[in-house]
Amino acid sequence: MTEHASRTEVSTTTIDDDRAMTGAPLDSDAAGAMAVALAGGERTTGDGDQAHHVGTSVLRYGGADRVTGKQKFLSDLTFPDTAHVALVTLPVACATITDVRTAAAAVMPGVLTVMSAADLPQPMPRFGVSHQDRPVIADGQVRFHGEAVAAVVAETLDQAEAAARAVEVSYEETDGVFDLDQATAPDAALVVDPSARPADDEHRESNILETALYEWGDVATAAAQAHVVVENTYTFPMVTHFPIEPGGTVVTPTEDGGLEVHSPVQHPYLLQRTIATLLELPLAKVRVFAPDPGGAFGGKQTPKFEPLLAFLALKTGRTCRLVLSLEQTFQTMRRAGCRVVARTGFTADGCLVFHELECDYLIGAYADVAPRVMTKGSYVGAGPYRIPHVRTASRAVMSNTTPSTAFRGFGCPQVAWATESQLDAGARELGLDSLEIRRRNLIHRGEAFFRGPYEATADGDWHQSLEKAAELIGWDTPLPAGRGRGIAVAIKPGATSGLSQSLVRFLADGSAIAYAGTSDMGQGARTLWQQIVADELGTGLDKVTVVSGDTGVVPFDLQTSASRSTVFMGNAVLDACRDIRRRILSLYADSTGSEEDTLSEAPGLLVTPEGPLPLLEASRIALGSLGGEFVGQGIARMRGRKGHPLGGDAAFYEFNCTAIEVEVDLDTGELLLHKHISVSDVGTELNPTQVVSQDEGASIMGLGHSQMEQLLLDDRGLIRNLGALDYRIPTFKDVPIELVTHGIENHDGPGPYGSKGISEGALLCTAGALGAAASQATGVVIRDLPLTPERVWTALQQALDQTTT
Amino acid sequence: MRYYRPTTTAEAVAALAGEAGTARVLVGGTDLLVALRHRTVEPSLLVDIKRVRDLRPPIDVESRAITFGPTVTMSAVAADPTVREWFPSLAEAALVVGSVAIRNRASLIANSANGSPAADTAPPLVALDASVTIASTSGERTVRLRDFFLGSRRTLCGPGEMVTSLRVPRPADGSSSCFLRMTRRRGVDLATVSVAAVVERDGRATAGLGAVGPVTLLGGPTGPVALWSEAEVENMVDELLSPATPIEDVRAGQTYRAAMLRVLARRAVLCAAGRRDAREPIRLTQEGDS
Repeated sequence: MTEHASRTEVSTTTIDDDRAMTGAPLDSDAAGAMAVALAGGERTTGDGDQAHHVGTSVLRYGGADRVTGKQKFLSDLTFPDTAHVALVTLPVACATITDVRTAAAAVMPGVLTVMSAADLPQPMPRFGVSHQDRPVIADGQVRFHGEAVAAVVAETLDQAEAAARAVEVSYEETDGVFDLDQATAPDAALVVDPSARPADDEHRESNILETALYEWGDVATAAAQAHVVVENTYTFPMVTHFPIEPGGTVVTPTEDGGLEVHSPVQHPYLLQRTIATLLELPLAKVRVFAPDPGGAFGGKQTPKFEPLLAFLALKTGRTCRLVLSLEQTFQTMRRAGCRVVARTGFTADGCLVFHELECDYLIGAYADVAPRVMTKGSYVGAGPYRIPHVRTASRAVMSNTTPSTAFRGFGCPQVAWATESQLDAGARELGLDSLEIRRRNLIHRGEAFFRGPYEATADGDWHQSLEKAAELIGWDTPLPAGRGRGIAVAIKPGATSGLSQSLVRFLADGSAIAYAGTSDMGQGARTLWQQIVADELGTGLDKVTVVSGDTGVVPFDLQTSASRSTVFMGNAVLDACRDIRRRILSLYADSTGSEEDTLSEAPGLLVTPEGPLPLLEASRIALGSLGGEFVGQGIARMRGRKGHPLGGDAAFYEFNCTAIEVEVDLDTGELLLHKHISVSDVGTELNPTQVVSQDEGASIMGLGHSQMEQLLLDDRGLIRNLGALDYRIPTFKDVPIELVTHGIENHDGPGPYGSKGISEGALLCTAGALGAAASQATGVVIRDLPLTPERVWTALQQALDQTTT
Repeated sequence: MRYYRPTTTAEAVAALAGEAGTARVLVGGTDLLVALRHRTVEPSLLVDIKRVRDLRPPIDVESRAITFGPTVTMSAVAADPTVREWFPSLAEAALVVGSVAIRNRASLIANSANGSPAADTAPPLVALDASVTIASTSGERTVRLRDFFLGSRRTLCGPGEMVTSLRVPRPADGSSSCFLRMTRRRGVDLATVSVAAVVERDGRATAGLGAVGPVTLLGGPTGPVALWSEAEVENMVDELLSPATPIEDVRAGQTYRAAMLRVLARRAVLCAAGRRDAREPIRLTQEGDS
């Protein structure tokens, strides 16, 4: 193979995390371009004294309600004549169900119905994003701890719970696989029976669901060119999203035979389509209301209990309500655990020669979007580096554990942990500084980190982030005794395709309503639409209302994920505002009898031969005495690219550099983070405070999987730390003494005004930076996350034992 | 489940006696309400004693002891100047229970006397030789806290009884104390292991040990030790820790727990020793809510 030969394989149909939601075939058109030119983000000027809200830290839209408790989350909503749902689960992770006896429960006080697999259409309706493998309710087997076997609907929650306890389930516990070693063993118990998989699926006799291979150059012969080769195995734990709002679902049957589904989801339109398909209803008869999620992080992307609630609502003819406990959310969402075997070669001066990765993702009992997590996460597994020879072979491995799903970082933090640690391993062998080895290998704008026909290149000046982080942590200053410093970088591909639409109404008094389907789950998306509309239409922030979370009135948006909203929905909102201005111009010309080509428009203005007119005044003249309003439509669409391993080029990359200074208590293994610096390449900060809050939040979340978070299972696959008591996430007291984030602005993104998507970057390489810092402080290298005090102490003891024997 | 709010101790214990062990006393509710919600306890009757008029006052400082009533909260304990002067280890323990909101509600007596081996305030109270008064329809009895714990969640306070006061004797002049615990994170957490040490003027030491046995354990008292001698301190720590039987659980492995017990014991002894004569004000870190 020559150096630039390339081979890219994904074993089965590539499922784009964006595309998957539309189910659309890959667009065979040439390289994708969005309907709104993505690069068309430059701010138009010439609008005189128009107020600029974009680029300033205006207060969060709806923020006061959120922090004062006024905001209504799903569980705060009340509905008339509501019935309550309780789920029946088993204290096992893997079992064959032989009988579900519901008769005793069905006659208990207040009980409306009891539903198990036998009460649903046969064959069991199944749903899922990449594979339609998830049954509405457990169908003959339980594949993971917490999978619902039956559901009870009753007049009160107490009655439902009492009846749920009275449902008798006969089952035989079967052998399951709960970790990668078990799941990939030659004689492993299979999560999915081979008969349920396609006959031509080469992996049907194993737990491997899908594989991906990215390869260029020739790693086999490249080793000879390397001065130093390091080979290590890294592990990343299963962690759960832990949204502070557990969530739930309320489904109401409508008089016309349709359904209203209330669920705090990131993808109302995917949920609408899923329910419509399963219940064989027209989309127009399924109306999804998505109240703002209280945190989601990817965990509220895909439908979970909504299909079950829809069947229950239709069966009972009643509004059915299920509010999850935190324990139940642990059993419905998590990040894929990962094991990476990495072999990396360097020249004597620290340049990367080759990098070989075998990444196994432990994805759980159903596919969800995990195959896409695997393909997309390992696509950038080799990091933002200049590497002539790369081979990344990844597998999505099923297990009898909670189905894993999208989670901030989408498969990237797992592999970045390995790749960044390998850079440091090479640096140690070569006596190089961690910053210096990255300086030598990090690509510059336009250079490829992924080679071959679907080459992907740096879309930013990423060295600026590296240098800024080094400056902010004081890389060149003397290190206080007992401390260590680490620095790491990573990238994540943004969305690769998909449609976002927006409608904006410019009302007679100059106020405006923006309809934009992005779910505001704490990131503050609506604030940006408000800022954009205010600037583009020349109105006040307080005159802009944003409507979201209702598929009955808000036009289609693919999803709120992959940090895509600022770019995709932002462009759609911008486009809608410009559409309004063009419509005003056109009608103004018509009403005043002037030629359109003598007029032009600018943010907030119609420019006439007599001078600029405020847009509101122009619209009044245009509309005449009877008044009215203007409606603008905005579309942002990016097409995929046929044959591309991700289904299309990423619209942008999130790049982050994190640097950490840590002190280690050598007696206890406890880490004290003195400094934590996170620098992201953000394009343009549309709202600086919101950028900071996203980067701070992601940094702290990154410390979770780096320091303390892990789902612990017993040898039968039951979650041992099920709930807040023993599953620990960072609190504000666990935050580093000094946490500083910084955004690099080059106005070079595809979103409005040169923005890029943000919010995932700051947790991509937290672990790598912390691991390197802890290694420097202790002299001990740990390759398994999280770096709990116990793990650090144990490693120190082992090192001590080795030196004394 | 019924709810009852008596106004006298006699009514309260009579109600408890009438339920044959299926009633629970409610004070702050920070433990009980969680258990009710998770159905780990399913009592027939809740006896809310917050309106009982003849309870001991929350904090009663006498010349030779402090007596706490059932309604004293962790926040009140931690803020009391006499507690901070006499029993710095107790103040330190009270300050790490739960969060600010929990501490404003949680009862010292309920936390220390409910029999959890990981209760934060039990080790200092055992080391300080506190005693509890138990009331029932047949009267009152007083027992040392050291003898009170029978097993995990099992104490001398039986069905029909409730603890009505907690008395902690004023420590001897020249002694001091220190409480340390290990948790998995800095924010709200349960103890993986905890140690409260009391060191006397002459170098004798006593320790309360939390989360390293089925009950809160008492180590020592040891003989006088030269605290500047590393070897002697190590021997003292050996002696203090001899009752401990750490096990593995979801919070830590057995080896790590045993090792951390040792680290904390050494640090707590030296900290308490250092506080004895310096007469410096005890600096207590205010734990924030998180």
